[in-house]
Amino acid sequence: MNEPMSTTVVMKARRRRLLVWAGRLVTLVIVIGGWQLLTSAKIVDKFFWGQPSGIVRQLNDWVRHGTAYGSIWLQIWTTFKEALLGFVVGVVAGVIVGVVLGQFRFVAEVISPYIKVTNAIPRIVLGSLFTVALGLGIAPKVLLAAVLVFFVVFFNAFQGVREVDRNLLNNARVLGASRVAVTRHVVIPSALTWIIASLHVAFGLAIIGAIVGEFLGAQKGLGLVIATAQNNFNPDGVFAAMFIIAVLALTAEGLIGLLERRLLSWRPPSPAEAIQA
Amino acid sequence: MAQIELTGVTKRFVTPSGTMFTALRDVDLMIGPGKFCAVVGPTGCGKSTTLTMVAGLDRPSAGRVEVGGQPVAGITPGTSFMFQADALLPWKTVLGNVALGPVFRHVPRKEAQAQARDWVRRVGLSGFEDHHPHQLSGGMRKRVSLAAALINEPSILLMDEPFGALDVQTKAIMSNELLALWEQTRPSVIFVTHDLEEAIALSDQVVVMTAGPGTVKAVYDIDLPRPRGAVQEIRFESRFLELHHQIWESLREEVERAYARTAQGARS
Repeated sequence: MNEPMSTTVVMKARRRRLLVWAGRLVTLVIVIGGWQLLTSAKIVDKFFWGQPSGIVRQLNDWVRHGTAYGSIWLQIWTTFKEALLGFVVGVVAGVIVGVVLGQFRFVAEVISPYIKVTNAIPRIVLGSLFTVALGLGIAPKVLLAAVLVFFVVFFNAFQGVREVDRNLLNNARVLGASRVAVTRHVVIPSALTWIIASLHVAFGLAIIGAIVGEFLGAQKGLGLVIATAQNNFNPDGVFAAMFIIAVLALTAEGLIGLLERRLLSWRPPSPAEAIQA
Repeated sequence: MAQIELTGVTKRFVTPSGTMFTALRDVDLMIGPGKFCAVVGPTGCGKSTTLTMVAGLDRPSAGRVEVGGQPVAGITPGTSFMFQADALLPWKTVLGNVALGPVFRHVPRKEAQAQARDWVRRVGLSGFEDHHPHQLSGGMRKRVSLAAALINEPSILLMDEPFGALDVQTKAIMSNELLALWEQTRPSVIFVTHDLEEAIALSDQVVVMTAGPGTVKAVYDIDLPRPRGAVQEIRFESRFLELHHQIWESLREEVERAYARTAQGARS
């Protein structure tokens, strides 16, 4: 390709990127601005639906004066700690159980109907049980988050193990690999693509578990802050807490993305990634 | 080097629909130590099944498989297998893939790496040690597979259409390379292929199998002198043509029968 042509291609790509970002900005302005306008014009009642300026005021107030249960940072830290602990416990348990069950066909067949049943029941309800049994501390929230995370990770790990290329397994076995070596060198790396895909959803679920746990009974945390705002007819407070949680979730998502790129660096770039590069 | 002997081997499978399917029936086959044996036959005649039973990945329904005088139980020690699709681990580098054999045999890491480096060089891939399989061409991946198979210095090498997916030129180059490497260590080889020319050019013995259920139809000794040299040239020699003609007569019948059966199946 000659020089001037390649520069036009580069310029076109850059212009396109700029347009996409402009489009995103316009969408944001329309949604937030429309909300603000509709509520100030009293077409939508801000008493029920909140108002962007009110949400900003609420956030500002929390940062300066704290919440009813102590500083806002303490609330964020509490929820984050619960979600993170639940996430770690759930992921570790899910991976171990998934990898083991995936390799022993007999055990898998015996317990698979029970797993299906457990998966079908709304596990979030278990939160009530945990709160009654374990009290208002951190434990029931961690447990609820871990349960939610466990199933997602477990199903993916299990499926990932079962999808391992038979050729790769046979080849390793012929080369003299023991069962442990096959698991370590072939099964786990192969299932890793599936496991990591599940982590994205899993962290979101861990946060949901922590928040719902706090809803059901807690002495601090963002879930409690939301419940309080609800009881005080304060929609701005609900939205403000929601915004904080979203920031938390996005940060975690970014970190998991980094981990994914690191662990799966051997993968050929997908066509979509290649275009962005 | 080990002798491979199959006596009255029959293999049946239960298909997912619950019916019984006989892949192999009464196969008798003897491959002397250090011999290169090619197996040809129509599609679906149980060639690959034979290999998996010699490797110990599968058991015969009846009959005996013996390697080096010992009945096969569990994975046959000293065996390497080269599959039709390359069985390289996509998350390991070329060096990591080639080093798998020694690593599985608990050779210390440093030494395993050194051995692997040597084998990567022997198959002509020096400089590509740190590449991942997806960065290599089909022919290069086959070289990696070959190095990974030979690094254990197997006494038996089982190859299931290893070069089937390669273009003609690459296939010829790989065949030459395989012969050169084979002559260094001389394992007993079973080489499954569809390509009769390839079979004759490489082997000491060509086994023709019948259309399924597969059994041994005839065994031809290939008396072309060794070392054979370039496989592209040997195929113009008169003795080669004579053998090719003779074996093809036998193979054609089976191929036609297998084809007629699938054509019938498609019509009904």
